[in-house]
Amino acid sequence: MKGAEPAIVCEAVSRRFGERLALSGLTLAVERGEILGLLGPNGSGKTTTLRILATLLQPHEGAARVLSFDVARDAMEVRRRIGVMPERPSLYERQTVEANVSFWAEAHGLADPAGAVRDALRFVGLEDRRRDPVGSLSKGLKQRVALARAIVHRPPVLLLDEPSSGLDPSAAAAMEGLIRDLARDGATVLLNTHRLAEAERLCDRVAILREGRLLRIGTPRQVRAALLGHIVEVELAGIVDAPAQRAVESFPAVRETWWAPSAIRVRLADAERDTPELVARLVSAGARIIAVRPAGDLERAYLELMSQPLPGSLAA
Amino acid sequence: MNAIIARPPVRALARKELRELRRHRMIVATAAILPVAFLVLPVANLLFYDPARAIGGPDFAVGQAMFCFFLTPVIMPATMAAYGIIGERDQGTLEPLLTLPLSDRELLAGKVAAILLPTLTASFAIYAVYMAAVAAVVSEPVRSPALDWTWPFGLLLTGPLLALFSTLTGLVFSARSKDVRVAEHLSGLVLLPSMLPVLLIVTRTIEPSLLTWLGFAAVLALVDAALWKTAVRAFDRERAISTV
Repeated sequence: MKGAEPAIVCEAVSRRFGERLALSGLTLAVERGEILGLLGPNGSGKTTTLRILATLLQPHEGAARVLSFDVARDAMEVRRRIGVMPERPSLYERQTVEANVSFWAEAHGLADPAGAVRDALRFVGLEDRRRDPVGSLSKGLKQRVALARAIVHRPPVLLLDEPSSGLDPSAAAAMEGLIRDLARDGATVLLNTHRLAEAERLCDRVAILREGRLLRIGTPRQVRAALLGHIVEVELAGIVDAPAQRAVESFPAVRETWWAPSAIRVRLADAERDTPELVARLVSAGARIIAVRPAGDLERAYLELMSQPLPGSLAA
Repeated sequence: MNAIIARPPVRALARKELRELRRHRMIVATAAILPVAFLVLPVANLLFYDPARAIGGPDFAVGQAMFCFFLTPVIMPATMAAYGIIGERDQGTLEPLLTLPLSDRELLAGKVAAILLPTLTASFAIYAVYMAAVAAVVSEPVRSPALDWTWPFGLLLTGPLLALFSTLTGLVFSARSKDVRVAEHLSGLVLLPSMLPVLLIVTRTIEPSLLTWLGFAAVLALVDAALWKTAVRAFDRERAISTV
C-alpha cells in the first residue's frame, strides 16, 4: 500500500454515456476501514462510480484512486486489491459453490487457494454447501457465495453493489452482519444501497447522489440533522413535570420545543454536541428517561433531499 | 502465447473454462457428436470402397475422408469460441471476471487454451482411431494412400493452427457481437470459405507434399498471429460489458 491517503479517492470524476452525463465532477474520499454508503435513485451514478473504481469503466474527466493506485493507469494493481460484488450474484450456476470461489482464489494467485476458499466459505456460513451447484441455491445463499468470492483473496477494499438487493429481511440482516464483520477486520467498504435503514445502521458515512452529482456526504446523523434539523425526541417514564420543563427551557442550546404528556421534542443548536447535556439536565431534574432518539430517520432525510430542486437546475 | 498461458491466473481461467464447457450440455453434445460422425463416415467410406462404383480414384476417396479430419479442428471450436465473451456477458459473469487481475491478453489466452485443449484432443484421438481402423480393416487400393505419412504429418502440423484460426475468429466476433447466435453465424461465414486451401490439398489439386504442408502451416501461422492481434484489439472491456 502506498502512502496514507484515504483508501478510495475520487477527484472531480465525470463519465458520459453518449450524450448522457452519468457522473458529474464527483469528489469524495473513503477513509481506510470506513464503510461508506452510496445512496441515490436509479440512474444517479452509484453503479457507474463503483464500476469506475472496479476498473470496468474509465473516467472521462478527473481521477480515481484505490489505495493510491490510479484506476486507469494502474488497473492491474487496483484489481489485485479490490473485491467486487455486483448487484446480481453473477456466478457460474452449473459449477459448485467451491469451484466458483476456487476460481477466484486461483486467479488471484494465492499460495493456499484451498485454505482461502475454506476460510471464505466458513465466514459466509456455506462450508456445508460447498459441493452444491450454485444453481440450486436460494438468492440469499447465492449472494453469500458472491461475497465469499469477493473476499477470498482478503482484499483491503470491497466494492459492493446492492449486496442485500432482493433478499428477505433475515438474509439481508445476515449480509449486513457479514459486511460489518469485514469492516471490523479492517476492510474499507464502499456499498451502493437502496435500503436506507440498512445504510443508517451499517455505514459510517453516506453519500447521496442524484443525476450524477454528489448532493450530501456525512454521517447518517449529520445528513439527518442537515436536512431535518437538529431535532431529538426524549421519551419519559412518567409525565413531563415542571422541573423537567424548566430544565429543558433553561438550556441555551434549545431552539424550539414541542411537548407531549410523556415525551419532549427539542430542536437543538447541534444535536450531536448538545444531546448529552440535554439528557444530563433532564436527569438532574428527576426525569426518568426511557429513550432518546433523533427525530426522523435517514429515509425521511433522503426523501426531503430528493424533493428539493437540484442545485443549479432550472427546476423550481 | 505459451508464456502467458503458463501464468497461474491464466491456468485458473482455463480450468474454469473447461469445467464450464464440461457442464454445458449443448456444447458437450456438439463437441461429442461431431467427431464421432467425422470418424464413422470416413472409415465406412473407405471400408466399403468399390473401385467399380467410386467417383474418382482411391486418392480421391482418401482425400474425402481426410477433409473430415481437417474440418474437425475448425468446426469444433466455433461454438465454444463464439460463446467465449458474449456468453459470459449473457450469464452475467463477465463483469466480475473483468475485475480479476488478468490483462486482455491473459484473458483471451485462458479462453483460447480451454478451447484448444478439448478440440485438439478430440481431433487427434479420432484420427488415431481412424488410422488404427484403416490399418486393421480397410484393404487396398485405399489402404496405402490412407496410411500415407503426409496425412498425419499435415494434420499434426496444421490441425492446431486451424483450430487456433477458428478459435480466434470466434473470439473476435464474440467480443464484438451482442448476441451469441450472431457471433456463431458471422464466424461460420468466415470459417467455411477459409477451408478452400484444405479442400485443394485433399482433392490433390495441390499435391500434399512436405513442402505443401510447411507452406500452408507458415501461411496459417501468419494469419493466426494477425488474428491474435485483432482479437486483442477487438476486445474492449467497456464495450463487452455494455448491453446496448
